Amino acid sequence: MYKWFLAWRYLHTKMIAFFGIASVMLCVAMVLVVLSVMGGFLDTVRNRSRGLHSEIVMNSHSMQGFPYYDEFSQYLAKKLPDVIRATTPVLSTYGLYRDPAYQQTGPTQVLGIQLDDYVKVNSFGDGLHYQKYFPGTTHLGPQQMPVAGMAMDHTLTLPPDLEEANMRWRKSETDQSLIDRFESAPFEITSPEFPVFAVKGERQFATRVGLPGYVGPERNGIIMGCDIINIRRPDGNFDRTIARGANIVLTLMPLGPTGNPTGEPAAKLHLRYADDSRTGIYDIDRMMVYVDFDLLQSVLGMDSRQLVDGNFTKPRANQLLIDLDDGVDMDVAKDQIALAWIDFQENEIPLDLDSSEQMSLYKVQVLTWEDMQRDFIQAVEKEKVLVTILFSLISLVAVVLVGCIFYMIVEKKTKDIGILKAVGASGRGIAGLFIAYAAAVGVFGSILGLAVGCAFVWNINDIQDWLAWLNPNLRVWSPDIYSFDKIPETVKQADAAWVGVIAIISSMIGSLIPAYAAAKVWPVKALRYE
Amino acid sequence: MSTAILNAKGIHKAYKMGRGEVSVLRGASLRVEEGEFVVIMGSSGSGKSTLLHMLGALDKPDRGQVEFRGQSVFDQSKPIRNHYRNQDVGFVFQFYHLLPELNVLENIAIPRLVYHSFFGWRAAKRKSFAEAREMLERVGLAEREKHRPSELSGGEMQRVAIARALLNRPALLLADEPTGNLDAKIGTEVLAMLQEFNDAGQTIVMVTHDGCVAEKAHRTVRLTDGVIQADSGTRSGSKSKSGSEAGDHRRGDSGDKPKTEVV
Ligand SMILES: Nc1ncnc2c1ncn2[C@@H]1O[C@H](COP(=O)(O)OP(=O)(O)O)[C@@H](O)[C@H]1O
Ligand SMILES: [Mg+2]
Repeated sequence: MYKWFLAWRYLHTKMIAFFGIASVMLCVAMVLVVLSVMGGFLDTVRNRSRGLHSEIVMNSHSMQGFPYYDEFSQYLAKKLPDVIRATTPVLSTYGLYRDPAYQQTGPTQVLGIQLDDYVKVNSFGDGLHYQKYFPGTTHLGPQQMPVAGMAMDHTLTLPPDLEEANMRWRKSETDQSLIDRFESAPFEITSPEFPVFAVKGERQFATRVGLPGYVGPERNGIIMGCDIINIRRPDGNFDRTIARGANIVLTLMPLGPTGNPTGEPAAKLHLRYADDSRTGIYDIDRMMVYVDFDLLQSVLGMDSRQLVDGNFTKPRANQLLIDLDDGVDMDVAKDQIALAWIDFQENEIPLDLDSSEQMSLYKVQVLTWEDMQRDFIQAVEKEKVLVTILFSLISLVAVVLVGCIFYMIVEKKTKDIGILKAVGASGRGIAGLFIAYAAAVGVFGSILGLAVGCAFVWNINDIQDWLAWLNPNLRVWSPDIYSFDKIPETVKQADAAWVGVIAIISSMIGSLIPAYAAAKVWPVKALRYE
Repeated sequence: MSTAILNAKGIHKAYKMGRGEVSVLRGASLRVEEGEFVVIMGSSGSGKSTLLHMLGALDKPDRGQVEFRGQSVFDQSKPIRNHYRNQDVGFVFQFYHLLPELNVLENIAIPRLVYHSFFGWRAAKRKSFAEAREMLERVGLAEREKHRPSELSGGEMQRVAIARALLNRPALLLADEPTGNLDAKIGTEVLAMLQEFNDAGQTIVMVTHDGCVAEKAHRTVRLTDGVIQADSGTRSGSKSKSGSEAGDHRRGDSGDKPKTEVV
């Protein structure tokens, strides 16, 4: 009985107990903060990578692409109806973009997509800017430039269909602060000439004095990666410098029917900036532009072409994105699809394929989104391993620290141990006393540490803002580096529970050695401590 | 011969000092009968405390035996030895050795707390504290039960220590210079109290280097050169004279004197 009695008494009469509690508290808080922030970071990276493609991607190793993608997706729909939800083909190539207004030229990776289907298989649609505030107005087909009309009192109106789309967004938006920001952003005339660029909310439209409407020749749309044409502000939002509908010129290298670059003059596409896309992965957002699949297919010569022998080539794509039904295991589906692809080649494709088509079929791999993003995810996972190792070291330091404190406590209490043993306390009982004491210190320290850690994580962005206000160099989380607007600020219950339990166990382990030492000595040895 | 309550035979103890060894006890033997009040005298550093610790099983002899009612203490298992310390002997230290975090009453009750398990204590708590309070009255400190040891004088602390030592009604009370740290008047009071307990039947073995104190005892023995030398004068009422034998002389080491120092 005396164990509990004395452990409790020591706890609230001994100053050293507060040091023990404080050190456990700080260790717990620190580990919880790092775990939550790193965990949040990794989760976000994974989620974003996952939203890039679709669950399964059939990918051709060569820019030449592969034929029969359409036939195969129909075959799949029949063969695995319970597995496949949707498919969409994608073209991928490289080119140069030019923004004539700012005379800016740069390299890009160009994706040809069927926008309506593409947004169904991944989260591409969520990152589209104008599509958010003017739902339903972003497309890649032929379009003119929308122009805001400006009355003499400088009030700004957009074409009726855009205003109507905007109303739809306002009605469905639950975040009032977003609407407020949209309303409150200044309207600026940046040039006295026509057309001037105007800001409405954070969106940019060309403006003319008079009625709103559409101007210019019809051109196909292009969606730009947001970091190509916009300037990222420190708060994670973007300064848009180009008006919606502005000209973008894309220069591409056509491949002949066999995939051999033809050496003809490069193809030039005159397009309109329809929207910008933010996937949240910086390397993608600063490189990628998106145009219409059919348009790109014909420009690259990957559509159906007549050969000299009078036969027609099959249209080709670089990828076939496959979205799975809910609850379907991705790796199982991957194997099923890979088998179906072999069956399909054996049974459904004419035997007299020419050699280049034959080759291109061989180059198709069936991959999961994780396979696709392997390099990226692996980098992140390596980071995770590194962090885990660092953690183990930190935890070890914490255990040693707690162990030291308990060693000191037991040292200071050696005389008490002698007294207790002199009146008949067993070695086990003495060890139990200090372990119970350590457990109590661990419990109090953990509870306080979890409270402090949670408070810190939940307010971590405010703390960072405050630090940055003290000294801008203290801003550690830069959105342009991490592609995140905010430091992750959620604490997982499981994490908190684990950290707490481990801290309590660590305290007890830390006290084990001195407790064991205390238990072993003859009473006199302890009493001679004067 | 009836079995003595305590019989220590040929106790040897040496301490390591740097490279060499200092042998403090070299075959000390002592026999104590039921109801006796035995005083062990000896100069400072002669090994009195060391011997008393062995008798109370607070330390282990290098060689030799301590028998309590015919049972060897050091041949027993640990739990039985713990039981011996808890139930059969009470120990009073020169420096009181109270637990500073506990108040007077709790300090006295500590042997009971140690004795009982978590659940046993719930049943025994009331009775234990009642007995502790009774002990406190017997040592004359009833008013001080809520005080911390740091709020007591030396004499008061020693009384608390005696109350603690006697709480479990041990057959044997071992007192190591209980008056050594007290001034003469208080020391006499404490001594008188011990005598009272002895008159009530309590067997006491007390260590002192003060000749006046020794006069109260039935029997006084001397510890010199690591052995109990002689059975000195016995007062009336002593139940036995056969308490001690001169140390069994063996080995050639009897010549070198044990290191003595003023403690
Ligand atoms: N743990 C120890 N280590 C070394 N020497 C010790 C130890 N305990 C006691 N001694 C020595 O043993 C001798 C006897 O000590 P002690 O029994 O305390 O004497 P007394 O109580 O008669 O004054 C002293 O010289 C003392 O220094
Ligand atoms: Mg002594």
